[in-house]
Amino acid sequence: MIAAELAMQWRRPRTLATLAALCCFSFALTLALALSGGDRLQRVGDIPLLIVPERSGGSIPVIALASTMKFFLPLAVAIFAGESIAGEAASGHLRYVLARPLSRERYLLAKLVVALLLSLIAVLLVPLAALAAGAAAFGWHPLTAIDGSASTALHTAVLGFSPGATLARMGVGTAYVAGGMLSIFSFAFLLSTLTAYPFAAVAGGVGLTLVSRVLNSDYLPGVAVLNRWMPNNDVDLWEHFFQRPAQTAGMSHFLLLQLIYAGICLTAAWWWFTRRDVLT
Amino acid sequence: MAVGTPMGAEGAAGDPVAAEGAPPILIEGLTKRLRRGVLAVDGLDMVVHRGQIVGLAGPNGAGKSVTMKVLLGLVRPSAGRVELFGEPARAGAAALARVGALVDGPGFVPHLSGLANLRLAARLPGARVDEQGIERAVALAGLGDALERPFRTYSHGMRYRLALAQALLGDPDLLLLDEPTTGLDPAHTLEIRRTVEHARERGATVLFSSHQLGEIERICTHAVVMRAGRLLAAGSVAELRGAHDSLEAAYLELVGAPGASREDPVGAR
Repeated sequence: MIAAELAMQWRRPRTLATLAALCCFSFALTLALALSGGDRLQRVGDIPLLIVPERSGGSIPVIALASTMKFFLPLAVAIFAGESIAGEAASGHLRYVLARPLSRERYLLAKLVVALLLSLIAVLLVPLAALAAGAAAFGWHPLTAIDGSASTALHTAVLGFSPGATLARMGVGTAYVAGGMLSIFSFAFLLSTLTAYPFAAVAGGVGLTLVSRVLNSDYLPGVAVLNRWMPNNDVDLWEHFFQRPAQTAGMSHFLLLQLIYAGICLTAAWWWFTRRDVLT
Repeated sequence: MAVGTPMGAEGAAGDPVAAEGAPPILIEGLTKRLRRGVLAVDGLDMVVHRGQIVGLAGPNGAGKSVTMKVLLGLVRPSAGRVELFGEPARAGAAALARVGALVDGPGFVPHLSGLANLRLAARLPGARVDEQGIERAVALAGLGDALERPFRTYSHGMRYRLALAQALLGDPDLLLLDEPTTGLDPAHTLEIRRTVEHARERGATVLFSSHQLGEIERICTHAVVMRAGRLLAAGSVAELRGAHDSLEAAYLELVGAPGASREDPVGAR
């Protein structure tokens, strides 16, 4: 069931277009940095961390992941999760699948696994494409970074990371970002079981991302109490891996939060989908 | 004849075919209340025995489609007993392996070809379909080279032909066809009629809903008339026609003239 579902989703034009767009973003980013000379300091995310692309191709995946984790990746994840059931309902295929001797739990599980797999591929694709493009454009050398939080007027805190250390930090950072997409994924997946309009489910997932970004104490100090419970606010904490020593504060709370969102949304999705009337 | 009577004692005694095991369809006191309180089906009783070709007639909102969806386990009854071949009709029921359906129009994966869609259906749990079965379905669909094209490029008629081919995959013992001739030209309608007749020849049972009373009169052995979720009449086509010139005339007398005041549920078909 999972293999058939994966084969079907993999051939869906929207799947290929979404993955291709993410690849293209990494390539376009590399091209833009190369054309601009690559010798300028680039700020990574919201923390005072600066890297120079031309020193190492390893800097490109860092920049690419930091640039996509707050909108493009949540959008891709919302597409894969939101389309999964609602897309089938919209085409009418859902009622023919569910009219077979197939338990709804099993079908939901297959949909969940495949949508999760595609979402994971999306998250992995960005740094991998950026790594390939970065290495081709700038070579494969130690990454040099400037930690603004450790620098003073008289001292610039320059950090060096070997290619192996860069890869290891990127690997853990990518895993963290993938985990950080779980809340958006689960919410869009829940909506996908509730509606026959895939656009509504995708928009819901993206909407949750935007709400999370808006209700952020960086912009609205009055909502600081909500900050720790917003599903997407702390997805950028992995950037602290490129400081020395690496900072991990807040990461376990964020990942636990993802599990809470996922637990609530996926339980609700299971409850509703196994009981709903399929009228469309 | 047992259509329209709970448990169909008459059918069990008088029809030697009916005596073979549980009837393909048994509905007792089926009630379905949709959201917002719409009563789609209201205390429906119906038994369809093996080999019967039953026409399901009624105006829009009569509850025909909802009844079929309950049989397919897509919709949960609010009350009543619904069985397929003696097994409760619910989501994932093993008896669904013996059922082919065309309900609410075709439903396929738009980006896959017609052939890929048929193969996908043949791989679903419970589908007892081998390569020969797929080839028979391909021949029945009669789409030629178009079978290799994405489903989204198909015309209305092509979509219905593919849907009918899918419904017949694995030669199901029970065929549920919900308005299969909607919007089709006479040639396609004739094909569907032949398909139903062929299913009847091999001993399958068919529940066939249509607004075309002439179709029901030509194809079906029995008919059921519903209105506002309730059963108005049931019996053999000859019994329902009675002294009227046609089944349509009898139907209009039963259901009433168009525009007459009725309590048809809005949004339920």
